[in-house]
Amino acid sequence: MNWWKPLIQAGAVPGSGSKGEEPEAAERAELVEDAELRAHEISAESRVPPAVSFLNGFERWSVRAYDGVIPVVEAYIAAAVRRREGRGGLQAVGVRQRSFAVAALDRMKPDLRQLLEHSAGDIEPVDGEFVGQPARYLEQVETIVRRARAHVERELAESTLERLGAEAWLVLDGLLSRSPAVARHPRALGVIKSHGAQFLEGRGLERALTLPAGHRTSVFAVRGGHTRTETYSWYLRLWPWEGNDLLYGLLRIEARAHPDTIARASELSGWLWSERAPLATPATRWDRLLYPLHQVEEYLKALAPRDVLQRASRLPSLAS
Amino acid sequence: MNAVPIGRVVATELKPATPHQFHFWTAIETSIGIGAIVKVEGGGTGEEGRVVYGVVTEGFAYSDLATPLHDVVGAEGDPARAADAPTARQQIRYWTAAVLRQTPEEPLQPVPLGQVFVADDADVAQALRMDAFLYSATPTAIPVGLYTSAGRDAPVYLDADFLLGPEAAHLNISGVSGLATKTSAVEFLLASIFAHFPGHKGRIAALCFNVKGPDLCFLDQPGDLSDEDRRRYQRLGVPAEPFRNVRLFAPLKADGVNLNTLRTHPDLVGDVEPLTWGLQEVVDFAEVLLNRDDIDAKADAFIDFLRDRVLGRTFDDGFGGTHRVQTFADLDGFFRSIFDGLEITAGGRSDTWRTHHIATMRKVRNRLLNISTRCKGLVTDDGPSSDLPWKSFEDRAVYVIDIANVDPLGQDLVFARVVSKLREQLERRELGVDAVVVFVDELNKYAPGDGPDTYVKKMLLDISERGRYLGLVLFGAEQFRSQVHRRVVGNAGTQLFGRMDMDELATPGYQILTPATKSKLATLPIGELMVRHPHFTQPIFVRFPKPPVLRGRDGVERFPPAADVPFDEAVVRQLVRLDRRVRPNQVKDLIAEREQEDVRRALAAARQKRPDDAFAYFRKVLGARVEPERHGEREHHAVPPLNPISDEPY
Repeated sequence: MNWWKPLIQAGAVPGSGSKGEEPEAAERAELVEDAELRAHEISAESRVPPAVSFLNGFERWSVRAYDGVIPVVEAYIAAAVRRREGRGGLQAVGVRQRSFAVAALDRMKPDLRQLLEHSAGDIEPVDGEFVGQPARYLEQVETIVRRARAHVERELAESTLERLGAEAWLVLDGLLSRSPAVARHPRALGVIKSHGAQFLEGRGLERALTLPAGHRTSVFAVRGGHTRTETYSWYLRLWPWEGNDLLYGLLRIEARAHPDTIARASELSGWLWSERAPLATPATRWDRLLYPLHQVEEYLKALAPRDVLQRASRLPSLAS
Repeated sequence: MNAVPIGRVVATELKPATPHQFHFWTAIETSIGIGAIVKVEGGGTGEEGRVVYGVVTEGFAYSDLATPLHDVVGAEGDPARAADAPTARQQIRYWTAAVLRQTPEEPLQPVPLGQVFVADDADVAQALRMDAFLYSATPTAIPVGLYTSAGRDAPVYLDADFLLGPEAAHLNISGVSGLATKTSAVEFLLASIFAHFPGHKGRIAALCFNVKGPDLCFLDQPGDLSDEDRRRYQRLGVPAEPFRNVRLFAPLKADGVNLNTLRTHPDLVGDVEPLTWGLQEVVDFAEVLLNRDDIDAKADAFIDFLRDRVLGRTFDDGFGGTHRVQTFADLDGFFRSIFDGLEITAGGRSDTWRTHHIATMRKVRNRLLNISTRCKGLVTDDGPSSDLPWKSFEDRAVYVIDIANVDPLGQDLVFARVVSKLREQLERRELGVDAVVVFVDELNKYAPGDGPDTYVKKMLLDISERGRYLGLVLFGAEQFRSQVHRRVVGNAGTQLFGRMDMDELATPGYQILTPATKSKLATLPIGELMVRHPHFTQPIFVRFPKPPVLRGRDGVERFPPAADVPFDEAVVRQLVRLDRRVRPNQVKDLIAEREQEDVRRALAAARQKRPDDAFAYFRKVLGARVEPERHGEREHHAVPPLNPISDEPY
């Protein structure tokens, strides 16, 4: 007999899972709805907007060469918006792509640097202080690529909002607060599926993490992104977590910091709840990934250069 | 090119493009389907200018759904909720096409991964290699229908050299009964052949055996055509009108005066010509009348003896009697004389007469005389025969022989004799035309894959294998192709398929077809066919217009068959048909109180003579006893022997 079964028989909730996301720094949240964080049943009669644009981004990078101990990295980033009219398929309405090299230019040998500048064209520099520390260097590369991707996504989001229809919405994968213009738009939502950053504590945190499926939490205000723009946020549970882990099916939604957001939080949650189907399989985090956002990612993968997607074999090459 | 591509060739390691097959995807909403002809234009280094034509043989649709279970989970087990999902899954329409033609043809290479276009008229001609016989100095193109897939409307042609000989020949059409496709297709194709048969190939006629109901009885009457049908006729360059020259032959009924056909409406019966044969016409095909157990050397020898020594000659039987056998009645008298001679003159001491055993003679007698009883009306005991216009067949004429209501033995006899005469006269170039299309329905019955080797089956095999050299072309139809002798269907250069039964499609002969093509065949609408022709490397679907003639069923509704008329009325009708001036009452007065046999003989004589004054001639021959017409010394043309059925593959 398994030792944990008596616990469940005694009232513990069955679960599963292992190590999850890397923890990030705790963020401060200010409750703007209810006196204390509560679970609200979402609206069953919610309306799916007639037109919705979904934005997602994509990044890949790989070391292609070494100048001594300096890794020279090839990076590819892209973002796309695919629009859904009514209930139907998605059509791409905007794409941004960028291919560039990442290297500590000021520490490279002159001839190789000249050759790199001549052939690559678009290069993001790495601070020379990371040279000699491969792990930190690559961490810095990761940061540079991610920042570049965020930039592309922000530009695309802003341009999309400029031509968004009167009743159309923009749903983007990740923080809404990357761009003040996007964060303040009345019909833009950010859908966050990573929960490394912790906004709640105590009883409120417990209520959020044990939120039943089909419920949302009270709305709270957060400041996010490097612009620290304030947005309103709430948690939404798409699938029952019991039998899985606490973050299973849990989304954090961001919308503009406005009283209207509080008034419409249940309605908007009902809409997002209806986006559970189709399932975003075979993505591993399908429980938190909306299918249209998954589709945008697949679209970007299809556009990406083939060599960017291929992983090099780590088997040693045989000498000829 | 200015055309808009509708798809793009894709190839993976698991599903590569090959020289004979490729795969492509299209938009979800697309005009193409199974049977559509597409064109692939190659691009890129080394493949510039390469064009590949293909026909769609399989189609697939799938989404990014990893497993059906995920759809169940997404809809929480409720199928009604599955439709509520706000986003439609990403889907693909993925097609497999078989290569029809590549240009350049050499070197033969895999299909390039290029754009896919819907084929236009010129592309269809190229794809089906019709350009060679459509645009040559002496075109030999015969329209078979319209290729109508993918919103197109392109004529498809058969090569007369491969449909009617000499390169290949014969046509076989299969399909389930009752969908008015097999007979209609043949009727349309005959009209098309008559309109497009190349002048340099000479004269052509068709001979159709009507073996069921009124199917082919109204080929000279216009049918109801829709505007769409007329447009299709115009597109194919075939006149939308019934056959101008149709001659219908039918045996008489047992009464010897009424015609044994469903075309007996008073307005039309005058155009039906009686088909009656006497001993002279039947005896050469005595083998047809003998069943498998009867065929032995002794019977053959006695029949040969009758042919060579007795029929049409003055013959002394050795018992004091002299015979001149020209009719069944004469033959009966001849046999009686011999049997009596053996019994009385020889005192019953001998069982043989001129080396022939009495049992053999009795068997041959019974078989020969039996035909005049079983096929009374077709075979006359005595009197002159009424036959097809041998040696004077006319160009673009259709000769229909209605044997639908004839005893099976009589059908076999008609078929054997008519085809043998055709073959004989085509061989001698004396038929009047250079080629004859013989249409035989119900090949399942006449040339089954199993069962005894009948004379008719041997004849069909003979036409299939040697007919193309003579200009004798078999258009055969059946319900189950798999059950027809494989050499009969195998020798058909052109094969048409209407709607097929799924059981039939499961037989080995259809294994080359994809499941999608089989599915299309199983649901093919009226007026659509799948065509296989030597120039087409893959089967092609075509649509043909409704035939320009009255269908049998409609014919009997519009022209209901008349009831059999009394003897005197039937005689009047036949005489009026010969001569419009004949007054019915005069005829009735003349034949009152006369023996019917005498009247029949006089009538037959008038039919054969076709005098200017039919009544006067009829009265003259009826005045005295009408003697059986005496032919001169019988000229016997031996029919070349048929090859025995061997097991050699075709």
